[in-house]
Amino acid sequence: MNRFIKFILCIFFVLSPSLALAVQTHGPPEGLYVHMMAHIFFSAAIIFLLYLLYKRPLGTGPAWKHMKISLILWLLWNIDTFIVHFLAGGLPYEAFEIPDKGFLHTILAHPLDAKRIIYYVGKFDNLLCVPAICFLALSLKSFRDEVRERLMAQKAGGEV
Amino acid sequence: MQGITMLPVYLIDFLGATTMIVMSLVAFYYAYSLKTLEPKNVLWTYLFWLCMAMVALSVSRGIGHVLKYVFILAGIHDVWPFLAPFSGGLNTVAFISVAVLTFYYPNVRDVIELVQEEAQRLAEANRRLKEAHRELRILNQTLEQKVQERTKELQISESKFRGLFQGSKDLIFFCDPDGFITDINQSGAELLGYKDKNEVIGMQLRSFFSRTEDWETYYKAVCGILGHIKDFEVKFKKADGSTLYLMITANGLRNAQGNCQGSEAIAKDLTQYKRVLNQLIQSEKMVTVGHLAAGVAHEINTPLGIILGYTQLLEEDLCDIEDVCETLKIIEKQTKICKKIVAELLKFSRSTYEGERTEVDLNKCVEEVLGIIEHSLNMDVIYVMKNLEKDLPLISGMHDKICQVIMNLINNAHHALGKEGIIGIWTRYNADKKEVELIIADTGPGVPKELQGKIFDPFFTTKEVGKGTGLGLTLSYAIVSDHGGEMEMHSPPDDPILLKAGMETSFHVFLPVIKDDDNEQVS
Repeated sequence: MNRFIKFILCIFFVLSPSLALAVQTHGPPEGLYVHMMAHIFFSAAIIFLLYLLYKRPLGTGPAWKHMKISLILWLLWNIDTFIVHFLAGGLPYEAFEIPDKGFLHTILAHPLDAKRIIYYVGKFDNLLCVPAICFLALSLKSFRDEVRERLMAQKAGGEV
Repeated sequence: MQGITMLPVYLIDFLGATTMIVMSLVAFYYAYSLKTLEPKNVLWTYLFWLCMAMVALSVSRGIGHVLKYVFILAGIHDVWPFLAPFSGGLNTVAFISVAVLTFYYPNVRDVIELVQEEAQRLAEANRRLKEAHRELRILNQTLEQKVQERTKELQISESKFRGLFQGSKDLIFFCDPDGFITDINQSGAELLGYKDKNEVIGMQLRSFFSRTEDWETYYKAVCGILGHIKDFEVKFKKADGSTLYLMITANGLRNAQGNCQGSEAIAKDLTQYKRVLNQLIQSEKMVTVGHLAAGVAHEINTPLGIILGYTQLLEEDLCDIEDVCETLKIIEKQTKICKKIVAELLKFSRSTYEGERTEVDLNKCVEEVLGIIEHSLNMDVIYVMKNLEKDLPLISGMHDKICQVIMNLINNAHHALGKEGIIGIWTRYNADKKEVELIIADTGPGVPKELQGKIFDPFFTTKEVGKGTGLGLTLSYAIVSDHGGEMEMHSPPDDPILLKAGMETSFHVFLPVIKDDDNEQVS
C-alpha cells in the first residue's frame, strides 16, 4: 500500500515540474566579505594560539618570545587590514585624484576627515606584517639554534 | 596640494611586499632546517607547515602587490584588474589555511605533551638504568676489590698452611676413599723411611700398618659413622722394615651426601717417646728393687750367716749321725743358695756405685768375654757370628761391669738356644747420636709378646727353679743405665740385617762414646 502511494507521488512530481532556483549567483562584494571574514578567522586563530601559548606554554626561551611577538604583530596587521578594507569600501571614487603624471602621483583628496586619515595610516600595513614575518623568521632561527646546540651536546655526551 | 600624496604608501607597500617575500623564504629556510635536524619532531613539523602557509600568504600577497605596481608602471592597465581577484582569493585561501593550521595547534600540543611525557618516562627509565648501571659498576668494583682481598687472604692462609704442612716434623697425609695416599709432607715421607714424598704418594696406607686389626679399627673409625679417630696409637712398618710407633689423629672427608671422600691425618712419632717411657719405667723398677734388695740383703745376710755358721758347727759335732749329717748338709746347701741370692741382691743394689771409669774398648770386652765362655759354648753346638766394627770409638765406663753385661747377655742367648744355634754379635758406631751399639742376638725361639714387658723385671726368669736368680738382665740394665746408655730388646728384631741373619731375639745396648769432657775426667 505504501509502495503504491510512493509510486503515485513520484509520478505526480515527474509529470508536473516547475523552476527550482537551486543555484544562487554571487555578487561582486561577496569576495570582499569572504576576504574580511578570512581576516576575522585568522585573527581569532591567532588570539586562540596566543591564549594557548600564555596559558600552557611549551617553553620560555627567546624562540617562543619571538613567536609571540610575531603573532601579536600578525594580529595587529589583521585588524589594520580589516579596517582598511572596511574603510576602502566606504570611500567615494572622488577621494582619489589620479593626475596625468601617473598612478604614483595619486592623491587622497580633501576633505581629509577621520575616515580618510585612518585609511591613509592603515595603508602602511607593511610596517606591521614585515616585522611579523621577521620575528617569525627569528623565532624559527632560535629554534634551529637551540636544536643544533642540543644535538651537539648529545653527540658530545654520547662520545664521552 | 589638494590632498595627501599616496606615494609613500605605494613605496612602503612595494618595499614591504618585496621584503615579505624575502623574509618568508628565510623563515621557510629555518623551518626546513629544523625539520631536517629533527624530522620526527611533531612541533617542528607543525611549524614547518605553518610556515609554509605563511610563506604562501606572504608570497601571494607580496607578488600580487609587486605585480600591481609593475603592471601599472609598465602601462599595462588591463592585466592587474584581471589578476587582482585571483591575488585576493589566494590571500584569502592563505589566511584560512594559516588559521586552520593555527586551530590545529592544540592537537599538536597534546601530541607534544604525550611525546614529552613518554620522553620524560623514557628519560627517567634511562636515568634509573644509568643509576642502576652505576651502582652495579660500583658493586662490581667492590666485588672485584673484595675478591682480590679474599684471594690475598686465601693466598696468605694457603701459604701459612702450606708452610705448616711442609715444615711440620710430624707426619701429615691425605688419603682417597680407597685408602691410597694422595699427599704427604716431606718430613712424613722421611719418617716412613723414604727419601722423596712422591715415592709414598699412591701407596696403600694399609701397607704401613704392622697389625691388620689396627688398620681395620682406623678405617672403620675414619670412614665410618664416627668420622674421626683421635690419639690412636699404632705400629707402622718403615721402608727398611723397622718399626715406627705413631699416634694418629684423623678426620674423614665427606661430600654433601655424607659419603666418605677420603681422610686427612696427622701422626706423631712416638718411637722415641715409647723408648724413653720404657726406660723410665724400667729405671723406676730398678730403683725400687735396688732399695728393696739392699734392705732385704742387709737384714737377711746376718741371720743367714749365723744359720750357716751354726749349721757347719752342728755338722762338725754331729757328723757321726748319718741322717742328721745329711739333713745339715741340705740346710747348708740351701743356706748357701740363699747367701748367693743375697750376694746377687747386694751386687745389684751396689750397681749404682760409681767406680773408677776408664776408657773401654767394647770390641775388646766382647773378645774377653768370648774367651771365657767359648769353651762352654763349644760344649753345645753354638756358633758365634761376630760382626765387630773396626776402629770403634772408646766409651767411658767400668770395664768389669761392661764385661758383666756382655756375659749376661751371651749367657741368656745360650740359655735361649739350648743345645744348638747361632749367637750373633754386632758392634757399630752411630756418628749422629755419638754412641756405640752392641747387639747380641740369637736364633732361638724368641720371646713371647706377653713376656716382653717383663723381661727386665727383677726375679723374672724362664729358667728352672734354682738355676737362675732372675736378676741377670735387671742387673745388666742397671749397669747400662749407670753408664748413661740404653738397653732394648726386640723379638723379632727390627733391624733387617738381623732378620736376614735369621735372628729371633736381639738385645741392643747403646753406650755413649767418650766426649772431650769425659777424656778430661778419665785422665
